[in-house]
Amino acid sequence: MEKYLLRNIENPNSADINEYVKAGGYKALAKAMDMKPADIIEQVKKSGLRGRGGAGFPTGMKWAFAAADPKMPKYLLCNADEGEPGTFKDRPLLEKNPHLLIEGMIISGHALRAKYGYIYLRGEYPQAKDILEAAIKQAYEKKFLGDNILGRGVKFDLCVHQGAGAYICGEETALIESLEGRRGQPRIKPPFPVNEGFLAKPTVVNNVETFSNVPYVLEIGPEEYSKIGSSDCPGPKLFSVSGHVKKPGVYELPMGTTLRDIIYTHCGGVTGDKKLKAVIPGGISTPVLPADKLDCPMDFVNMPKHGSMLGSGAVMVFDETVDLPKVCLRAIKFFEHESCGKCTPCREGIGWMRSILGRICGGTGNAGDIDLLLEVSKNVMGKTFCPLGDGAATVVQNFIKNFRNEFEAHINNKVRAER
Amino acid sequence: MLSEKEKNEIETELKQYEHKRAACVEALKIMQHSRGWVSDDGIHDLAGILGMTPDELDGVATFYSLIFRKPVGRHVILICNTISCWVMGYNQVLRSLNERLGIGLGDTSADGRFTLLPVPCLGACDQAPAMMIDNELYGDLTPEKMDEILGKYSWERD
Amino acid sequence: MITVTINGKQIKLEKPVSILEAAKMTGIKIPTLCHHKSLEAYGGCRLCLVEIEKMPRLQASCTQYVTDGMVVWTETGRVVEARKAMLEFLLINHALDCPYCDKAGECDLQDLVMKYGPAAGRFTEGKRKHPESYDDPIIVRNMERCISCTRCVRMCSKVQGASAISMVNRTSKTFVEPFSGGRYNCEYCGNCINVCPVGAIMSRLHKHTYRPWFIEKTVDTVCSFCGVGCSVTAQIRGNSIVRIIPESEKGLNRGLLCNRGRFGYDYISNSGRLKSPMIRKNGSLQETTWSEAFMYIAQKIKEIKEKNGGAAIAGVASGRCTNEDNYVFQKFMRLVVGSNNIDSIAGFAYAPARKFFEKIFGQGVTANPIQGISRSDGIFVIGGDPTAINPVLGLQIRAASQKDIPVATVGYAPGLKGFAANRLIPKPSTEAALLAALLTEMLKRKPLPAEKTPFEEIIGKIQPVSLNEAESACGIASGEISACVDSLSGMTNPALVIGRDIIQRSEGQANLLLLAALAQALNGRIYLSSELPNEQGLIDMGCLPDMLPGGRPVAVDSFRKRYGEFFNAEVPSAQGLSLMEMVEGAHSGNIKALYVMGENIAFNIPDNKFVKDALSRLELLVVQDIFTTETTRFAHVVLPAASWAEREGSYTNLEGRMQHLKKAIDSVAGLEDWKIIAEVSKVLGVDMNYRDSRDILAEIAKVSPLHKGVTYEDMDSGECMWPYKGEPLRHDLNIVGIDMPDMKALLKKPEKDKVYIGVDKVLFHSASLSRNSFALNSIYSEPHAKIGKNLAAKLSVASGDHISISTGAGAIELAAVIDSDMPDNIVLVPNNFEGRGAFRVMGWKMNAAFKAPALDGMEAVLKKLERVSAEVSE
Repeated sequence: MEKYLLRNIENPNSADINEYVKAGGYKALAKAMDMKPADIIEQVKKSGLRGRGGAGFPTGMKWAFAAADPKMPKYLLCNADEGEPGTFKDRPLLEKNPHLLIEGMIISGHALRAKYGYIYLRGEYPQAKDILEAAIKQAYEKKFLGDNILGRGVKFDLCVHQGAGAYICGEETALIESLEGRRGQPRIKPPFPVNEGFLAKPTVVNNVETFSNVPYVLEIGPEEYSKIGSSDCPGPKLFSVSGHVKKPGVYELPMGTTLRDIIYTHCGGVTGDKKLKAVIPGGISTPVLPADKLDCPMDFVNMPKHGSMLGSGAVMVFDETVDLPKVCLRAIKFFEHESCGKCTPCREGIGWMRSILGRICGGTGNAGDIDLLLEVSKNVMGKTFCPLGDGAATVVQNFIKNFRNEFEAHINNKVRAER
Repeated sequence: MLSEKEKNEIETELKQYEHKRAACVEALKIMQHSRGWVSDDGIHDLAGILGMTPDELDGVATFYSLIFRKPVGRHVILICNTISCWVMGYNQVLRSLNERLGIGLGDTSADGRFTLLPVPCLGACDQAPAMMIDNELYGDLTPEKMDEILGKYSWERD
Repeated sequence: MITVTINGKQIKLEKPVSILEAAKMTGIKIPTLCHHKSLEAYGGCRLCLVEIEKMPRLQASCTQYVTDGMVVWTETGRVVEARKAMLEFLLINHALDCPYCDKAGECDLQDLVMKYGPAAGRFTEGKRKHPESYDDPIIVRNMERCISCTRCVRMCSKVQGASAISMVNRTSKTFVEPFSGGRYNCEYCGNCINVCPVGAIMSRLHKHTYRPWFIEKTVDTVCSFCGVGCSVTAQIRGNSIVRIIPESEKGLNRGLLCNRGRFGYDYISNSGRLKSPMIRKNGSLQETTWSEAFMYIAQKIKEIKEKNGGAAIAGVASGRCTNEDNYVFQKFMRLVVGSNNIDSIAGFAYAPARKFFEKIFGQGVTANPIQGISRSDGIFVIGGDPTAINPVLGLQIRAASQKDIPVATVGYAPGLKGFAANRLIPKPSTEAALLAALLTEMLKRKPLPAEKTPFEEIIGKIQPVSLNEAESACGIASGEISACVDSLSGMTNPALVIGRDIIQRSEGQANLLLLAALAQALNGRIYLSSELPNEQGLIDMGCLPDMLPGGRPVAVDSFRKRYGEFFNAEVPSAQGLSLMEMVEGAHSGNIKALYVMGENIAFNIPDNKFVKDALSRLELLVVQDIFTTETTRFAHVVLPAASWAEREGSYTNLEGRMQHLKKAIDSVAGLEDWKIIAEVSKVLGVDMNYRDSRDILAEIAKVSPLHKGVTYEDMDSGECMWPYKGEPLRHDLNIVGIDMPDMKALLKKPEKDKVYIGVDKVLFHSASLSRNSFALNSIYSEPHAKIGKNLAAKLSVASGDHISISTGAGAIELAAVIDSDMPDNIVLVPNNFEGRGAFRVMGWKMNAAFKAPALDGMEAVLKKLERVSAEVSE
């Protein structure tokens, strides 16, 4: 497939506006400026583009909700708080192709009649901040941003806001709280951000990759776009692959590429040609899959049918040597560290799961611990304020469901694993 | 008391937002950048210019793990301890850091040179195991690479 | 119309509410720990999870709103299991020290664990450790019990507007902490204590003093501190109040209190209470019997009346006494003593302002519901900080501000800093220039109509003042004034909150006229700040030299006649003396006897020395009080009164709401004030014949045209509002007797190099009463002098350094506190502490229009004292 999102990134100066324009950049913007905002929304709707952050909500529909709200001003926020472990798909976009994101945001801003945009960038990407800011400065200089974009009288201002280490801020309402200068705890929904978001005004929050798809939709038209990849959720998708594969990295592939294809065709297979034991297909919150379930098309619609989710498309591959209960413990430690502390089951339940897992992996587990762990996870599941707690419970339940024997081995053999 | 430089940088940030408090994380970072960490007095001074109470600002500051409310060493090492890095050899890298610096996670070396902190995913899983020193990312780490990397942050280099 | 079914019960709703609320309406209680009706929904504890048909997940009923056709089940097996799970989670990091914890017995968590909870937890690892903090004199924090419901933090930031505590950290390491570390740097409203569902934040004052099940009875009554009149519930064991709490359903305060109301009531059990009547014999006060005291007073009054006439006798009533007390007192003065010489501290500011506004707009114009402030579309504050004078009213302003309603403040109002978009702080005594400029600009934008009412005619004659003229007089940039006008002109029915600082001035009447004109131009509602619980009652009961009960002028023959006829007696026609005139009269010898009920005039009137001189010249000074005061020291007879908690009666608050004060405990030694007066009256031959306060109220309800048929039961309904069931005085549209302000004189600048002294209204104290409260003294134990940063720099004074403040009247020495918001040439001193009150060194001039003291232009000389500075926290 021809690359779009990552096109030109081998060029060492890909982040420079001149290189970007040379490669055809900002043409979609010019096109968009000739369109009515409602028509842009219509085209995005028609393209079938779904949000790339993990939930896969139809982008055009989200926009239409915000556009229908009469409150002004409207805000456009880019979720660049890529924090889901295993996920680094937005990194090349932010660091190598920032103008694609900027162009996408300007077009989106025009579609929504938003005058202000913020890129909420995770604190762990310091270089990306400098690169984005330099790119934004260039875009202002070229009149792609500012009070009179391309001389059409359209105004859109954009700036970068950097977080400071909180995974939960990837949740859109927590992101908004954080952007307003508060503790990044999720808000009650409804009202949804499209009606009452940043500063209680209609706000659209989209992922970096989502915005980066927008120029493409306009460039090739919604019909062509919708023909790429899976029919229910079309378009190019970035997959970030890590762990035991020969060629880890970010791959732009059509939505619906199978997990097996990703691992064996594109990433060259398992490191050292060892046996594959398990794969987490879409970032830490998505259910782990055993080696015999690799023929699932990676998209929002098909993955649930195969017992997992597309999530952020962050594929983590584990070979036969990996001690999976310990991977599970690592994952739970992550969730414990990132729990915002707002709701009871997440705040207290995850810590409890961690301590049970800790004793299992530490060789001091008891016979009933696996069932207790499952019960605690059940008590967390579906009862938390936001999906973070569910993510933790999912990890525990799926690791046990697929690899219970490994947990039992730790308990029975009193194997003291390295934590 | 805020330095002139800090004040100017914060003033620039304030211009980006309609409400002053929205710039608070950025203001905390500006202070942290110049002082290494944010003290109670620092919170007090920043709260004043952000139109927040010190309590509110402290609540925000302590929520984010990259804002340091305790003193840290000259350089902060953030070592990723989550899945991909852990699978790819985090333990060996951590051990080599422990041995070389004589400190565990959360500690600061006796010479005040380094503070070693765990971080959940640096978004560099394709270069696992990875760590970040100050703002510099280091990937595909092995114990063998440590001397060279840490050498860049020695006293002589300052 | 929305129809929902909860547990099989169908209910219809006009508008969507949360499932929790809908369930409550049908009498179904859904458990919750983080939800509180004073606060916005939070959704954190997850105890209120319910099952909704067609929804796979359990939903939090506090955040989920009902929709038409929704079917909800609140106690299914799944729900009960989930609640049990949540409780098991909560107990992971909750100290199970119930036997030791004061909250036991009224702990929401304990109750829920009893109902739903697991018999034993399965968590075997250690709990988090966080030692209890005793660093604060009032609040104990025990974070091992905290369940992170954040009620306290939300209360502090969203309702109290103080943001003095916050949640710190995240994950299970989250806890509540004041930034100041140990001691709180806050307003001590204690509302955080009130909303804590567990024993994490508790009152230190009540620690280990009782258990909830020890409470024998509770009495719903009214707070004794300020003119807001918050409803409080006294919890009683034996003959003592163990705690005062607000009930969230009751009163205009809806579950909120301030520090004074919540903690300050302990003065009633101060061991220094007066216990026995005393008569001065051989120069010293000696204990005596009640009957001897009554005889003595009656005899003296009789002698003086016979010799000098009733006009030589005067009475001072009290805004801390009930309507019943004050009514009986004025009746005694008018009909038994034969004098209209009755007044009170209310005559200094509250009464003249009220009378002035009523003259212009009609009686009852200031009787506006406090709740209306947060619902108005703009607020204008002048003459004092409402958050210190009337804290719970102040919260209404903060609440409005948090809803983005514009607030403008004129003058120093630190409690509204951060809430007022327009803060204008003029130089001392230059408010009139500012007000005139605001009015002038407003009239440019909203001109007076061609057809003018008589008051509009008057407004039309007020000399315009330009922005520049105002700027040069009051020192506020014209741009700032005009920005304030921009904000004001967007308001359609704003609340104007007016405090005494603007009234107790030589130009007080000009200020009031300008404010009335501004109120007219803005279509505003006027609220008068009131420092005492019953200032309004003093007016309504006729404790004014020129007013009979029901707000009827003494000067009108028919009113006087009708009042007299009721008792078959004659009301003297000569207008009485104002309080300040009484003091002058005592000084000059015209007043021979002064009867003081519940007021410390030797302290609460400016120029203490002059007052004391006056008192020492009296032939008879009778003082009814609950404590020995500066005034009782000059008395010939001192009579112990019953305290606020020990009597029944009524208070009328600043919005004109009559509230029922109930007897909570038996009096230690004192008698109700009205009873003392009735006894003296009896000895003088007039038997008032009251069995109790009900008899008095029944008489008021007959005598006062305003209070027709008013009963305590009416008050208990909570809506006994002005004009009750009676008739307000007909408003005479022809406004006479208003002097046009001399703008030229008002535009003069204060002298630049002089420093003026003013009274600081301290949030933690209430006149001279609160000095008897252990609790309030432990929050604020020492008076401080507040100065601005430039003045401090000029004097090389740092916070905590001692300074001397001297005036023509004397000098006091105080620790200084620097507040950068204060104007440069002013020093503020509180008037609460014996020997170190502002009125010790402040003089006064008589304001002829109000016959009350004007406090402006009092020059003070400040000097830094070389003394080891003490730590000052404020």
